[in-house]
Amino acid sequence: MLKIIIPTIMLIPLTWMSKPNMIWINTTTYGLLISLISLFYLNQPNDNTLNSSLMFFSDSLSAPLLALTTWLLPLMLMASQHHLSKEPLTRKKLYISMLILLQLFLIMTFTASELIFFYILFEATLIPTLIIITRWGNQTERLNAGLYFLFYTLMGSLPLLVALLYIHNFMGSLNFLMIQYWIQPLPNSWSNIFLWLACMMAFMVKMPLYGLHLWLPKAHVEAPIAGSMVLAAVLLKLGGYGMMRITTLLNPLTNFMAYPFMMLSLWGMIMTSSICLRQTDLKSLIAYSSVSHMALVIVAVLIQTPCSYMGATALMIAHGLTSSMLFCLANSNYERIHSRTMILARGLQTLLPLMAAWWLLASLTNLALPPTINLIGELFVVMSSFSWSNITIILMGINITITALYSLYMLITTQRGKYSHHIKNIKPSFTRENALMTLHLLPLLLLSLNPKIILGPIY
Amino acid sequence: MNMFSSCMITALVILTLPIIMSSTKLYKNKLYPYYVKTATSYAFMISMIPTMMFIYSGQETIISNWHWMTIQTMKLSMSFKLDYFSMIFVPVALFVTWSIMEFSMWYMHSDPYINRFFKYLLLFLITMMVLVTANNMFQLFIGWEGVGIMSFLLIGWWYGRTDANTAALQAVLYNRIGDVGFIMTMAWFLLNLNTWDLQQIFITTNDNFNLPLLGLLLAATGKSAQFGLHPWLPSAMEGPTPVSALLHSSTMVVAGVFLLIRFHPLMEHNQTIQTLTLCLGAITTLFTAICALTQNDIKKIVAFSTSSQLGLMMVTIGINQPYLAFLHICTHAFFKAMLFMCSGSVIHSLNDEQDIRKMGGLFKVLPFTTTSLIIGSLALTGMPFLTGFYSKDLIIESANTSNTNAWALLITLVATSLTAAYSTRIMFFALLGQPRFSPMIPINENNPLLINSIKRLLIGSVFAGYIISHSITPTTIPQMTMPHYLKMTALAVTTLGFILALELNLTTQGLKFNYPSNYFKFSSLLGYYPTIMHRLTPKTSLTISQKSASMLLDSIWLENILPKSISYFQMKSSTLISNQKGLIKLYFLSFMLTMILSLLILNYHG
Repeated sequence: MLKIIIPTIMLIPLTWMSKPNMIWINTTTYGLLISLISLFYLNQPNDNTLNSSLMFFSDSLSAPLLALTTWLLPLMLMASQHHLSKEPLTRKKLYISMLILLQLFLIMTFTASELIFFYILFEATLIPTLIIITRWGNQTERLNAGLYFLFYTLMGSLPLLVALLYIHNFMGSLNFLMIQYWIQPLPNSWSNIFLWLACMMAFMVKMPLYGLHLWLPKAHVEAPIAGSMVLAAVLLKLGGYGMMRITTLLNPLTNFMAYPFMMLSLWGMIMTSSICLRQTDLKSLIAYSSVSHMALVIVAVLIQTPCSYMGATALMIAHGLTSSMLFCLANSNYERIHSRTMILARGLQTLLPLMAAWWLLASLTNLALPPTINLIGELFVVMSSFSWSNITIILMGINITITALYSLYMLITTQRGKYSHHIKNIKPSFTRENALMTLHLLPLLLLSLNPKIILGPIY
Repeated sequence: MNMFSSCMITALVILTLPIIMSSTKLYKNKLYPYYVKTATSYAFMISMIPTMMFIYSGQETIISNWHWMTIQTMKLSMSFKLDYFSMIFVPVALFVTWSIMEFSMWYMHSDPYINRFFKYLLLFLITMMVLVTANNMFQLFIGWEGVGIMSFLLIGWWYGRTDANTAALQAVLYNRIGDVGFIMTMAWFLLNLNTWDLQQIFITTNDNFNLPLLGLLLAATGKSAQFGLHPWLPSAMEGPTPVSALLHSSTMVVAGVFLLIRFHPLMEHNQTIQTLTLCLGAITTLFTAICALTQNDIKKIVAFSTSSQLGLMMVTIGINQPYLAFLHICTHAFFKAMLFMCSGSVIHSLNDEQDIRKMGGLFKVLPFTTTSLIIGSLALTGMPFLTGFYSKDLIIESANTSNTNAWALLITLVATSLTAAYSTRIMFFALLGQPRFSPMIPINENNPLLINSIKRLLIGSVFAGYIISHSITPTTIPQMTMPHYLKMTALAVTTLGFILALELNLTTQGLKFNYPSNYFKFSSLLGYYPTIMHRLTPKTSLTISQKSASMLLDSIWLENILPKSISYFQMKSSTLISNQKGLIKLYFLSFMLTMILSLLILNYHG
């Protein structure tokens, strides 16, 4: 694992020592090279895990997320260039360093083999994200958003620390690889129910579960583009990853503890996607769509069948790329219109036809058009929830329909119709932006050729 | 000798060539539409070889070529099913598309993005081929969703128009509701049969196929615009006429019926689903025929007649005659595509005028279009020995002689006679009588692109039914004998419809237009369905999403319960407990008092 971690650390000196006009290109290229290294981990020769050391390991659940994380750094750098073009050099370098630091923490979080280590890094990712949101956000509301972001996640995860200490006390180890052999079924008692809650709530808040999701639209809307991208693409997946890791500890309590949370997510995904139908703010719409997609992941993880785990893993990767691409598109609109309001940016297809093609493809992947991996993920989730209870198909069906509606509503409002006069003299789309969209879309399309590498450990 | 599958694959690969071409310089070329058209015609001709072989020897094939993935015990691979249905439908669809492409070279010639339009048409055709030839449900779903999305793009072709965008969104919405049924069926099959391969599904037995079949019926309802999910089809007429001719008459909308035909082995012993299908089809065919009666937009009339014919196909499936339904799909493709092309020719000639009240007397100025339109309409009504006759007459006969629901049968018969009525209406208003359009329009139909494309389908509308029904051995045995009056029913109701409509239309000539009656309003307002469903449902759901989901829950309750209340209580308690109240004077006073006191004490110490 050091062959990813050390190059990532070395990105920081690269940033600070690069010539002023080279900082973006250097870091982006280097970041892309690192992401190439991470692709090796996708090849999991033995069905079990790939242990790098006592501290780090990767299996087919963490490897796709690792690849997603490393893939996203160069994309974030490419997306932020315009946003930071007016900043002084030192601040640009500081910003890039923050992104690198975040990537470093994320890589270590996804590959940590010790739960306490995982927990520390899980919390450590909050710091660079908070700095990115509150320092480089566009409006004053960013401070409030940062506050929400920090307090929701901290409140959720502090009980986890206590729970982990307790588990360490009676099990003697918190190593993922060892725990699965030592684990005893938890007897059903009140204290164990609280243990379950303490373990799961941290990740539920991070996902976010409906009801605890308020921080997410705020953080997404106020964060600068790189912040939104990394939040939607990777940070939310920390929740799903953590849940899938920790549920092994909590059997058989999950079987009945899951009910309220399943209900909440099934209900919440319809609520949040119907909120999307009424959003006027483009970024907020995409943020709510993330909540609704993540609700599917929560449902899948709580059902705990092989099929649902496959669906959850596939959906996490697919949603990571799709939502990040949507945020990039929203940002390219924002850089031209200087507003996130959709109605101000309508009819753009006439002016920016290539960008309209990207919008179309992004919306289609968001509504899970076959044969994209989004569909594979959603299909498995729908299937496993259908086998869990036939009635859920009604809720899932409503959600599928509304998802299609708001994706196309977003597409039609921004791209179709007559363009308004104030956008007559906007800039054409840059090669940088087109490359950015291609780099998002390419993995999505290539993965749908061979989806099994992102189907997780139970595949 | 296995030219069979290789020819078929060649035909399918030829279709992808112009798509690959679109990344080269040729895409910028003026000739790109021509390439696309030629590719389609070559694909048609090549696909005829295996079809001939199929007709001659009846050989069926399943090709399984690219292993996609294996999930636990389920293998998913790219696999094509070349059986009766796909072998007959592929050449028919290619033939119709070939003509429509030639027609759109004429119709869309002034469009600056004509190359992209052709690329979309071709992409649609490819997804349709995927749908038809798919051998597993996932591949079928790719085609299924693909045609849905291509219809979204093609209906919304003139994206500057609000109506076109709304119609496109409406089409996706109704299709998506159907897709839920499809997804549920996929889930059910995976869960209970652990396979998506068609042949494996058909050989496994399960006591109760009600749920998956209901899902398929829902899917078919959405895609084939059956009652309840029908309004998108007439709205889709906002798209260009070639799109209506290709998607909304001959190929995409029959996909739902095709799906039910494909899954017929599961349906044939299931009475519940058959009765449901029968009733759904009967209601659709009557309702849309009634709606067609009072429409004035020529394309809308043809669209409603398509919907009505789709209902008839559903009825056929409901009476357990999938092969007849399939025959009707094939014959219907010829004359309905031609009817749309004729109306396109009329619309284009009259400077984008679609209202039949403003036409009239076109038989003098557009003789060829008039001929084709009349033949198409006659074929649609089931005039003996035209294409429609061979399928429609058989359908009505087998419905008459089967042991079926008498109400459904009666409704279907009424709808059949209404078919004649609205066809008469088009002919009467658009073609006959005095011209009512502006005399300044230069009308010219003598363009080979237009003439040839319509001519080809015209020949198809006259002979295709005969050729198809006589070269294929009937798989279900048609009723051989029946009473005289049952044999004549189909013809009798059609003639009745013709005569009645003609008389009624003639009376309208001299009479003043009365205040519309309630029956008239029911028909012209499409049974009040759009008024109710397209206002009430979106309004309530959007209000709920705004008021309760967004404002009440998210902005008020969830905010108040957690963050706001916590910060409020923190603030209150901190102000309550803290002894620092900002009373500067008092603090200074006490400070002064202390100072004075201490000074005094210190002074008097010594």
